[in-house]
Amino acid sequence: MIAQLIEGPLWYFSLTVFVLGVLWRLFMILRAGAKKDLAVPRDGGGAGALRAIFSRFVPERTVRRHGKVQLIAGYMFHLGLFALLFLARPHVDFFAERITGIGWWSMPHWAFIVAAEVAFAGLIMLWLYRLLNPVTRLLSSADDYVGTVLVFLVMLSGCLALAQSVEALRLIHLLLAELLLIYFPFSSLMHAFTFAFSRGYTGATMGRKGIRA
Amino acid sequence: MLINHRRVLQFPALLFLILIAFPVFAENAPSSYKPVTVPNPATDLWRAVNPQQLPPAEAAMFPGGDSQVQGVQSGVLINQLGQRWRHFRMGQLLPTGSYLLAGAMLAILLFYLIRGKVLIRDGESDKKIERYSIYERLIHWFMAIVFLFLGFSGLILLFGRSLLLPWMGPELFSALASAAKEGHNLFGPLFLLALVLVFLKFVIRNIYQKGDLTWLLKGGGIIGKQDVPSNFFNMGEKTLFWLLIIVGGLIAISGVVLLFPVFGQGRDIMELSHVVHGIAAVVMLSVIIGHIYIGTIGMQGATEGMTSGYCDLNWAKDHHSWWAQRCIDEGKVMPKQQGAAVHHDNPAPAEAEK
Ligand code: HEM
Repeated sequence: MIAQLIEGPLWYFSLTVFVLGVLWRLFMILRAGAKKDLAVPRDGGGAGALRAIFSRFVPERTVRRHGKVQLIAGYMFHLGLFALLFLARPHVDFFAERITGIGWWSMPHWAFIVAAEVAFAGLIMLWLYRLLNPVTRLLSSADDYVGTVLVFLVMLSGCLALAQSVEALRLIHLLLAELLLIYFPFSSLMHAFTFAFSRGYTGATMGRKGIRA
Repeated sequence: MLINHRRVLQFPALLFLILIAFPVFAENAPSSYKPVTVPNPATDLWRAVNPQQLPPAEAAMFPGGDSQVQGVQSGVLINQLGQRWRHFRMGQLLPTGSYLLAGAMLAILLFYLIRGKVLIRDGESDKKIERYSIYERLIHWFMAIVFLFLGFSGLILLFGRSLLLPWMGPELFSALASAAKEGHNLFGPLFLLALVLVFLKFVIRNIYQKGDLTWLLKGGGIIGKQDVPSNFFNMGEKTLFWLLIIVGGLIAISGVVLLFPVFGQGRDIMELSHVVHGIAAVVMLSVIIGHIYIGTIGMQGATEGMTSGYCDLNWAKDHHSWWAQRCIDEGKVMPKQQGAAVHHDNPAPAEAEK
């Protein structure tokens, strides 16, 4: 009974909340529009926006020097998670079956495990950094912790279900993933999409002012 | 009188079941049957591939057969050492491990009851010293989280069958055991990573120095009440560190041997690794139980260094007086109200840390 709920209605509900929620949030951001130029723009905003979106992947020198842990752990977590989510065999099969209808290349099992290890190490370190650095601790809200804990639990339940032999473990993983989907659009996890908008906005504004930022 | 026919039938059925279930009863029961020996055609085959049937000298030389399967020891159908390993696990590792862990907890309880919490002699001061940078605290807690996860999942794998299965039932326990196994395997390599990071960061301060032995002989100022000076780390902490590196290293390496059976290791090496892994893990867990106790409820002011990064000046004077004196001399003592530092590493490490 519970299994059917998790497999069926709850899955469709969470997916709908996720898709509509994300679209709504993005729509609201776009609707806010850009500030009017107070002077004649020196350049178009497009190039500046593109440059900022990509150049920010390599942080500035001072950040590189003083934020090494965050930088390394941040990359470990995000790359590991991305690989896990989109290139692990069980996930590719799940996407193909439930959403896309077609599958794609998936990593060999050992690479899947390495990606999981890297993602776990990164996430735990990022969370510890947030707690141990007084500045990030002050800046953190309950939302940040809920997001971290939910993502951690989804990853952990997935790793505990790796044997793929106990149905209950797989269902726990799916249930947690559904909760994450529902929570996602209303939390700071939205940065997965909004990072491009915020970087692009800053880059475009600066570009129009003729500043390479 | 009504006769319950079911009952009447049940009794001989039960007797029959008992007789076939316990061959001992059946054999002793007087019987007019003469046993007929029907030779099992497979017996000779199994005898031939089972070295245990051979005299010990020949068994040791048993070469194994040929197999189409290409793999390490794939020609050995019956692993002679397997039984010995199984007996060790069930008969020695399990009981001794449980006594050791229970003993460690009991010892801590007794220590607490007799000695009580180790208080700061002159009470907390209004001054603090920076003790650990963010990075140092981060790798410590990373190691602690990973170790404790591995400890719990490992204990489920070791003792679960005898402790949890009876009251959890097979369904729940099999799910838990499967989860524990997968989690244990996945987190294992992270412990190796944590070990390397902790080793690199803390090794210099954990090299034994003059005065460490005196600290030990005087009970570290914890058993008696006298003042026993020490450096940044005292003899107890240094010993914990080296135990962690050596015993923890053994756990990690034997774990890797068990986890990746792709380096040509046979069953004998795997069994040995398992034994080393099990013993070392139980020893390390017992030590860490003591460490957690003294780092939390056992000693006033100990946790702060690892959480906020700062320790109380009087705490430092009590437990690391040489280091505290150096910090005072170098002007590194600051009032407690002063804002929390955000150093990513110790500001002036080398001299003060020793
Ligand atoms: C909840 C669990 C734990 C607590 C509360 C805790 C607490 C502490 C504290 C307060 C210190 C600093 C002592 C000082 O400033 O002198 C410390 C140091 C240390 N801890 Fe832990 N700890 C925990 C778990 C662990 C675990 C699981 C490990 C290893 C597997 C570990 C390894 C170490 C090491 C290596 C040091 C530095 C000591 C040295 O290098 O000599 N800790 N811990």
